[in-house]
Amino acid sequence: MEVLREKVEEEEEAEREEAAKRAEWARTEKMMRPVEVRKEETTLTQEMLRDLEKKLSEIQIPISAELPAFTKDTIDISKLPVSYKTNTPKEEHLLQVADNFSRQYSHLCPDRVPLFLHPLNECEVPKFVSTTLRPTLMPYPELYNWDSCAQFVSDFLTMVPLPDPLKPPSHLYSSTTVLNYQKGNCFDFSTMLCSMLIGSGYDAYCVNGYGSLDLCHMDLTREVCPLTVKPKETVQKEEKVLPKKYTIRPPRDLCSRFEQEQEVKKQQEIRAQEKKQLREEEERLMEAEKAKPDALHGLRVHSWVLVLSGKREVPENFFIDAFTGHSYSTQDERFLGIESLWNHKNYWINMQDCWNCCKDLIFDLGDPVRWEYMLLGTDKSQLSLTEEDDSGINDEDDVENLGKEDEDKSFDMPHSWVEQIEISPEAFETRCPNGKKVIQYKRAKLEKWAPYLNSNGLVSRLTTYEDLECTNILEIKEWYQNREDMLELKHINKTTDLKIDYFKPGHPQALRVHSYKSMQPEMDRVIEFYETARVDGLIKREETARTMTEYYQGRPDFLSYRHANFRPRVKKLALSSAESNPRPIVKITEQFFRNPAKPAEEDVAERVFLLAEERIQLRYHCRDDHITASKREFLRRTEVDSKGNKIIMTPDMCISFEVEPMEHTKKLLYQYEAMMHLKREEKLSRHQVWESELEVLEILKLREEEEAAHTLTISIYDTKRNEKSKEYREAMERVMHEEHLRQVETQLDYLAPFLAQLPPGEKLTRWQAVRLKDECLSDFKQRLINKANLIQARFEKETQELQKKQQWYQENQVTLTPEDEDLYLSYCSQAMFRIRILEQRLNRHKELAPLKYLALEEKLYKDPRLGELQKIFA
Amino acid sequence: MNRLCDSMEPKVMDDDMLKLAVGEQGPQEEAGQLAKQEGILFKDVLSLQLDFRNILRIDNLWQFENLRKLQLDNNIIEKIEGLENLTHLVWLDLSFNNIETIEGLDTLVNLEDLSLFNNRISKIDSLDALVKLQVLSLGNNQIDNMMNIVYLRRFQCLRTLSLSGNPISEAEDYKMFICAYLPDLVYLDFRRIDDHTKELAEAKHQYSIDELKHRENLMQVRLQDERARQEELEKHKTAFVEHLNGSFLFDSMYAEDSEGNKLSYLPGVSELLEAYKDKFVIICVNIFEYGLKQQEKRKIELDTFSECVHEAIQENQEQGKRKIAQFEEKHLSSLSAIREESELPNIEKMILECSADVSELFNELMMLEMQLVEQLEETINMFERNIVDMVGLFIENVQSLMAQCRDLENHHHEKLLEISISTLEKIVKGDLDEDLPDDLRALFVDKDTIVNAVGASHDIHLLKIDNREDELVTRINSWCTRLVDKIHKDEIMRNRKRVKEINQYIDHMQSELDNLEYSDILD
Repeated sequence: MEVLREKVEEEEEAEREEAAKRAEWARTEKMMRPVEVRKEETTLTQEMLRDLEKKLSEIQIPISAELPAFTKDTIDISKLPVSYKTNTPKEEHLLQVADNFSRQYSHLCPDRVPLFLHPLNECEVPKFVSTTLRPTLMPYPELYNWDSCAQFVSDFLTMVPLPDPLKPPSHLYSSTTVLNYQKGNCFDFSTMLCSMLIGSGYDAYCVNGYGSLDLCHMDLTREVCPLTVKPKETVQKEEKVLPKKYTIRPPRDLCSRFEQEQEVKKQQEIRAQEKKQLREEEERLMEAEKAKPDALHGLRVHSWVLVLSGKREVPENFFIDAFTGHSYSTQDERFLGIESLWNHKNYWINMQDCWNCCKDLIFDLGDPVRWEYMLLGTDKSQLSLTEEDDSGINDEDDVENLGKEDEDKSFDMPHSWVEQIEISPEAFETRCPNGKKVIQYKRAKLEKWAPYLNSNGLVSRLTTYEDLECTNILEIKEWYQNREDMLELKHINKTTDLKIDYFKPGHPQALRVHSYKSMQPEMDRVIEFYETARVDGLIKREETARTMTEYYQGRPDFLSYRHANFRPRVKKLALSSAESNPRPIVKITEQFFRNPAKPAEEDVAERVFLLAEERIQLRYHCRDDHITASKREFLRRTEVDSKGNKIIMTPDMCISFEVEPMEHTKKLLYQYEAMMHLKREEKLSRHQVWESELEVLEILKLREEEEAAHTLTISIYDTKRNEKSKEYREAMERVMHEEHLRQVETQLDYLAPFLAQLPPGEKLTRWQAVRLKDECLSDFKQRLINKANLIQARFEKETQELQKKQQWYQENQVTLTPEDEDLYLSYCSQAMFRIRILEQRLNRHKELAPLKYLALEEKLYKDPRLGELQKIFA
Repeated sequence: MNRLCDSMEPKVMDDDMLKLAVGEQGPQEEAGQLAKQEGILFKDVLSLQLDFRNILRIDNLWQFENLRKLQLDNNIIEKIEGLENLTHLVWLDLSFNNIETIEGLDTLVNLEDLSLFNNRISKIDSLDALVKLQVLSLGNNQIDNMMNIVYLRRFQCLRTLSLSGNPISEAEDYKMFICAYLPDLVYLDFRRIDDHTKELAEAKHQYSIDELKHRENLMQVRLQDERARQEELEKHKTAFVEHLNGSFLFDSMYAEDSEGNKLSYLPGVSELLEAYKDKFVIICVNIFEYGLKQQEKRKIELDTFSECVHEAIQENQEQGKRKIAQFEEKHLSSLSAIREESELPNIEKMILECSADVSELFNELMMLEMQLVEQLEETINMFERNIVDMVGLFIENVQSLMAQCRDLENHHHEKLLEISISTLEKIVKGDLDEDLPDDLRALFVDKDTIVNAVGASHDIHLLKIDNREDELVTRINSWCTRLVDKIHKDEIMRNRKRVKEINQYIDHMQSELDNLEYSDILD
């Protein structure tokens, strides 16, 4: 309440501010042209206001349930079907049965709380709880499995605590209403989830029981967020390879065993000490984190879902808390007891003692000692099955027969009164109420948004904190969807300030991961790529202030690694930008994979260009059966000998070590050619490094642009959002509509007006038919003639007018102004055009008229209504 | 062929000519100076051009081992010769010469482009070795038989062919015929064959081509069968039990045994022989199967052994490489430290340290190698013991099976002898019912003759069995010894090589260090 009051106060304050602002505005309006200082002031306040607003919106009301938001007056019951408002006779009967059952139960167990059997629904009608379950299979394939189903229910509904935490609610609304308002208490949650689970084939039950405080209030602040839990690295047990028959014996171990043992002992001691300390630390932390004892522990009523093993390949019984959508084992200590449970067919009361939470419960619903059922003859016969499993088939037949007899006597559950659960695709996509949901975990906060809700495509954000009070942010993870730049996840580590962006395949620069501290070039940064999408096969590029390392894969020249060292930039006197003054390169190291086409001693494994020392070092690959590799070092200095001639190549310019000395490599010519080749390669490599630098700049620029624009892509299959396809579809529909209209037109019934003259419902005589046909035909003929005449008349009129105009022109030709003449000429051409068109139409009409006439005759002849005609002619 | 060059003096391909040509066609400018300084070895030359030189006889080319491209066009060569050593040749140009027959190309397996344009060739043959042939130029020759084309079908890679200017190109069907018989050809007489022509040609000659294909297929199948059979036999031979999976040994026993064959006409002997053969063959098959099984076992044993040895060597090499890499890292840094150091005593100290490092590395590497040698020796000895045991067991078992064969033979011999003697008695008594062939009757003269005859047959049979057994035993024993020898030798070779490698590396390192010393002292 304290918080709430604060909030209210703040709101009021905000309102006041707002009013003040408005007044200010009004004043400034009045003053027409305000002084500069004033204006600044107003903008300042505006900014402040915005800040305030932001702050206000950030403040969250931890439990909104204090407001009785979901009462029956707020529910519109007028639109609900009849089954919601009345009870059928069968339902009445069921209620009587239930009452009877309840009476017997309270007589037999007077010390137990009354049963939760038939709460009122939204229309104030008592309904049996089992009939409130409406098994529904959802049309979304995502909701076929229990985990996604539970997650959906927990996301879709907002939790409202029970009005009285110690009693089951007096009302249990239908899922229809719950879905409409997206709010509900634990019973609403579990009813809906149970309906969906039974619909998709699970053996699920609603449970009325007792839960811990955290459970009842959906308080996850003591839970570790499932997203922060790192998947346990499965320690792969190293398969001990059996020593083969001829495995060589290891050399004899000459170390003293005693010394080893002593060493091990010492280390163990140290480790034990460390462990102890760690444990103490942990215990201390645990103590701090532990909740205050709850005064109402074990009395808080809660409802959740039980899924029994057997169906849908569920191997083991488990609970689902519908609030959070998490699953728990039936041994979990947060579930403190079960009063009763039900599905759409029956209702069971727990007759077992719950002193040890739910740990000792046995979920064998066929056992009447442990579970008292309400209706006889349901499908729960686990007990009988397990006991008579080893007896013969005949026995089973007997059991089945027995079951049948039971069924005859028994009273089965009436059909649910609730409508099928319907979730519109929009609602399904939006999921959370208003598309936003915040969950507070232990040292973490998870926010979720519906896709396309945020303009930058943000769909969820996980903030991890250092402390329990959630003040110091450790790291932030943001997930995105539908972004055009394929950004998928942004990971910001607040302590190291390291940002890591993860991309899905499809970025224009084939980015995969980009981790950086700042967007400035020539800083620490690692960029990983989808190497198959790149022509040069680059996998990763690492940068520090002075180095750049690139890793490649799958190149035709077998390059695997390139490392460049830079010197700090030389200051030039002339002003120049970074691009025109690249950092001088000190050293380039390149490594290559083995090229199987070349022999190892000719296949370079590593070459180092020491640009500053004018030295090139080569290291070759090692042959399979060797342990040393050839090496070669070239000194690139060009010198002049004593006579002033240029020395081309001398033996000391190339120092080489060869594993298997070969003759031709000793030759100066060979060495000279190799050196020339390397010089060319060096130039190329330098160019490559320079180009890589440029590319980094380009990527950074592109990233900045993308961040600024953050456009979202819309799938072409998304008919709702894709404007283009929507337009296209609408155009198609329009065309279809027009086409349809035209077809209707062509199917005009010529006979209709003539038939209307005759008395309806009578069969035509032959004479009548003939007359009808003649009339119809003559009428059509008349119409054709009329049309021809009409066209003819128009034609003549146009010609006449043209002639008149021409005459007029002839007479006044001399006096006419150029404009008039232009006017006349344009009129003439238009008139000529009209005349020509009319002429064409007339001609076409003349051609088509007989054909049309014949076609009509044919049609009439075949018309079933004038069947008489045919008979005679036939 | 009255060319101008005919009237000129023919020249001889001598060393001077070749040197001149190589020098002219070698590297130019700076590289050329170097080349001149050093001289070029013939075997380093990759391409050689010897055109318009009036060469009559190809000669002196044996040194050009690595030649890829050779141009000998526009000479007066009459015979293709002296090219046997140029096995790396890819391109050979012999156009505008006076060659009459194709010959001397059998070693040029890498040849892809062959030009024999404007010669006097009348028949295409002797090109079988040129499996990689892609371009063949035979224009302006005297080829007059269309069937020469069929010979070219065997060259799978042939794409370009020129035959214009031959008598056959006058034939009106020339183009169609070639297109039909060489469907993979792309260029004929320097023109691309369009698909339409190909289709037409195919349609025209379909019948004869189909027949040809059928024949070729049959040949192929027969060859394959033959190869499969050969392989099977080879496999049996490695198991040393070839020809034991049937009645081959039994048949061979009777092949050279005329008496035995004669005796088989005796009444009751044929049944006896039948039963004997069945039993004998069963034992042979037993030996055969046992042999294959043992072979499999030996193979597994050998595989495991070589795998283990390989693993051990690999592991050892990895260790060596790691050691060297560690050393090099350290060495490099200390070298650069030496370069930067200016105090002479310090330098000397550091160099000393370095050389200590080098010898330390040497010791480590040698230790590793010695360790491996010891380990391998142990393993090899174990393997040797096992394989010898296996072979011994195999021989023993085969011998016992062979002994069964011999028992059968003895048994058969006794029976035969019995029958023979009883027959002899009958003949002597004169109450023999059946008619005997004359040459058989000739044996039944007296008891000695018949016993000798039966005994001779028996001896031949035993000899055959003994021979087969001896062969098997000797061969497997020699295989075993050879295998063991080879393993030992390989190991010794490996060890020598490694030691050499280590020494070489250490020497290099040491000499590098020494050079450094000298240069520093000089400074």
